[in-house]
Amino acid sequence: MEKEYTLMKGNEAIAEAALRAGCRFYAGYPITPQSEILEYMADHMEERGGVFIQGENEIASMSMLYGAAACGARCMSSSSGPGFDLKQEEISYLSAAGLPAVLVNAMRYGLGDGEITAGQDSYWVSTRGGGHGDKRIIVLAPASVQECADLTYLAFDLAEKYRNVVEILSDGAICQMIEKVYLPDAREHDIDQFDWTLTGKPRKQKKNKVYNLSYYMGYEKYNALMRDKFREMHENEQRWESLMTEDAELVLVAYGISSRACRSAVRQARKEGLKLGLIRPITVWPYPQKAFEAVSGSTKAYVSVEMSLSSQMGEDILVASRNDRPFYAYLTGKDLPEAEGIIGYCRDILEGNIQPTEVF
Amino acid sequence: MPSYKKPESIIAPAGYCGGCGHGVVQRLIAESIEELGLQDRAIASVDIACAFWSQDAMNYEFIAGPHGRCASVATGIKKIHPEATVYVHAGDGCSYVIGLTETSYAAIRDVPITMIVVNNGIFGMTGGQLNLATTLLGDKTLSSKKGRKKETMGHPVDILKVLACYDVEFLARGALYDPRHIEQTKRFIKKGFTNQRDGKGFSLIEVLSPCPTNWKMTPVQAMEKIKNETEKIFPVGVYADRGGAGNG
Repeated sequence: MEKEYTLMKGNEAIAEAALRAGCRFYAGYPITPQSEILEYMADHMEERGGVFIQGENEIASMSMLYGAAACGARCMSSSSGPGFDLKQEEISYLSAAGLPAVLVNAMRYGLGDGEITAGQDSYWVSTRGGGHGDKRIIVLAPASVQECADLTYLAFDLAEKYRNVVEILSDGAICQMIEKVYLPDAREHDIDQFDWTLTGKPRKQKKNKVYNLSYYMGYEKYNALMRDKFREMHENEQRWESLMTEDAELVLVAYGISSRACRSAVRQARKEGLKLGLIRPITVWPYPQKAFEAVSGSTKAYVSVEMSLSSQMGEDILVASRNDRPFYAYLTGKDLPEAEGIIGYCRDILEGNIQPTEVF
Repeated sequence: MPSYKKPESIIAPAGYCGGCGHGVVQRLIAESIEELGLQDRAIASVDIACAFWSQDAMNYEFIAGPHGRCASVATGIKKIHPEATVYVHAGDGCSYVIGLTETSYAAIRDVPITMIVVNNGIFGMTGGQLNLATTLLGDKTLSSKKGRKKETMGHPVDILKVLACYDVEFLARGALYDPRHIEQTKRFIKKGFTNQRDGKGFSLIEVLSPCPTNWKMTPVQAMEKIKNETEKIFPVGVYADRGGAGNG
């Protein structure tokens, strides 16, 4: 029998997949374009036996999540743009205490309150952010509603495996589009399976104290633990999709909504005799360095396609590729990239009409 | 007859300064929890300021997190473990200044936790700066060296009167400057834990507490200041009691 599918918005797929992964605590504050996640949790969390709280602000929501995560519950919060900024404090605390949590950042374009429409200019805050101090956050970037579900489902496992924050980095287009989705099976999560959680233990049992791991371990052990964890995540969790890179003259690099325009561009350009390829990072941290190791000798340059003002992903591409080829960035700001524009830009590169993009 | 036996929940010395009220509050918490037989399921949410030291001193499970967010952290824990005894031990900077929103909404949601707020009128851990909610007018601190002025720094505010506007279980203020007041404070704290045990709502007990180190006074002078000055602005007593019979 063929598996049944359903039609859902990206936001709804994220919320439903989280519930099916055993997420039983959600706290958040409304902000466009991701409020459907909060609304979906308000509608469905209680029937699954979980806790939904509309917080008085982002910081309080995240602090409630911090408490629930310390009890071993699978926890989620979500936001966008200026709302996601406010979550940075607790990301640092979650990271310091080694608590797993899944956060969603549905990018909206611009500084300040900016726009409510799609953008990709929260790449830096997602891949470099998370508040003060040394930490890394696994950042998964879905490019379809199906991936919204699949990556959210995976995110909870990764968060617990590494006792780390995992972020779903969607955007105003991916989270609002409606597509066919096959939902993962529902499973229950046992909150009592860990030895580090708060349960309220009898007096003779060893008590857990949830605070900076460094306070109890000492910095020497803590630093080694964290460095090993960063390295392990970097080695094991790189995810990407390569499309027709084997013989490509130019390799496009794009994630999320921009990667969809790039996919069209690759197909269309090949019909016109222009050999484009695509590397689509699925994890933007760890950045898929291994994808660049496999790029062939026929490739003359990389072309990043991003909805941002600067090439926020440019540094990662230069590092991952060890700066082995010229680099260009096709940047569309608040506008969705289109295949025609990408192909035109690539032709200009090959005809020598434009200079490589500087990354600084 | 009062008991002078050390509560078994206190297993190590804490890092409080000499003459500090936090240690007394910590002991009253431990006594209340033990007398109610709740020590096998206690989880404490402490601030990363002076109350943090109780984490090392007490044989309970603890969590310390973002400054000011103790009531929210405790809310998250209580929602996941409704059967646990979840309490907050934090200062007035945490609970009434940077975390006033979090304290207020824990009260508005009537989360069945017990919150103990140490009001010492100053930012202790950071070395003695002005507390916007509780530093008395005229008091000199590191950030109000000429004394607190209402015109530029606002006035101290009785947060219990503010919280009493919400539909909460129990609000009370105690003091520590003599045995009678310590006993009364103990009754308030115990009432807060009893409410939680009985599945009632949000309880907050504020304690007027000395900080001789940052007030630059002897412990005795600090107690006298509370008796003669602080208590006049922040009167001791019960501010809300939905269940009744709370006036110790």
